[in-house]
Amino acid sequence: MEPDAQLVQHCLRGDGPAWEELVKRHTRRVYNLCYRFTGNSAEAEDLSQEVFLRIYRTLASYQEAFGGFPTWLTSVTRNLLVDHYRRTRRDRVTDSLDDAMPVLEEKHSSARAPDKLAQAAELSVQLQRGLARLSPELREAVILRDLQGLEYNEVQVILQVPEGTVKSRINRGRIELARILGEMGVRPD
Amino acid sequence: MSWNCTQTEERLSDFLDGRMEREESAEFSAHAAGCTECATLLRQVGGLVTEMKAIEPLPVPAPLVRKILGATLGERTPQHGWKRMFGWVPILWTPRFAMGAVTVAAVLAIVLNTTGLTPKKLKRADLSPVNIARSANRQFHLAYARSAKFVNDLRVVYEIQSALQRTPEPPASTNPDPEPKSESPSGAPDQKSQTAPRPRSQVRNSPMLAFVMMCEFTRSPR
Repeated sequence: MEPDAQLVQHCLRGDGPAWEELVKRHTRRVYNLCYRFTGNSAEAEDLSQEVFLRIYRTLASYQEAFGGFPTWLTSVTRNLLVDHYRRTRRDRVTDSLDDAMPVLEEKHSSARAPDKLAQAAELSVQLQRGLARLSPELREAVILRDLQGLEYNEVQVILQVPEGTVKSRINRGRIELARILGEMGVRPD
Repeated sequence: MSWNCTQTEERLSDFLDGRMEREESAEFSAHAAGCTECATLLRQVGGLVTEMKAIEPLPVPAPLVRKILGATLGERTPQHGWKRMFGWVPILWTPRFAMGAVTVAAVLAIVLNTTGLTPKKLKRADLSPVNIARSANRQFHLAYARSAKFVNDLRVVYEIQSALQRTPEPPASTNPDPEPKSESPSGAPDQKSQTAPRPRSQVRNSPMLAFVMMCEFTRSPR
């Protein structure tokens, strides 16, 4: 598989198929980040589209030294999500996602028992509701670390905050989320 | 050092992510084993982290990639019928393809010329490697013989031409100049008479002869 940096170089030379490959490769990551942050699939779709539009326009500014294309992409997504959050804060009456359509995870592993599948899907929905009740700072830290699987230093690059702040946000976010889920009656243990 | 509940809460993620020194980790575990509240916290947060890591990413909605590509590269309508069948034709006009085609054609022409193969009279036996090698060998020797003959003919022509050009010196005139020479006042010889061209020989006045001879030599049957 061609590395991302090479695809970016092809894109800068006007190679359409290279851009298509780059989009196909990273859409899932961007969409999931947007969905976990907003809790709304339609909003996540629009935001994903906006992210790639921004990436397409600013592709020339990408530098490999920044920390790899996925990190740069996540950073752009996160900045756009923060902008979106600030823009829509006044319109939101409540952070509750009770009205949002629950999106069930599509499990590809056929080895899982049906009851396990249903359980995991239910947990995902509850988790999304719990995340929505977290403050944006703690929410993004938990999403990047535990749902996107990024390392601490990658989260630090994306959030542009000191390492101590990253550690503190991830820790407080997890504890707070566990408490919220406990209140909701969800026991992940 | 005595580990307390505040430390346990502050360092909980360090413990779960394996970012603790061995000694600290041992103290953390020892405290959690003896403290009910910290044990509960560790179990709940630890379980949550495990569950979150196990959650698979959501599938991408089907039209999303198409929408993104449409917004960036422009809408691409799927082609049907003859447009789809001949969609590759514009590629032929690209400079890269044209250069490649010309190069291939040139190489093919050189190979055919060298091996002496004629596409119109091509037989199956001509394509066998032995016949191709023989034909190439024959072509090479023919070309060599032609060039050697040409050089030889040229040499003969030049030899004849140079022999004809070796004309004898014009005989010294014994008759006195009927016209009286006009001496210059300063006594210097007349410049006009000094620079006057020598009379050409008959052969030098007819370069056509050398050309005709050369033609005669080169026209000899091969």
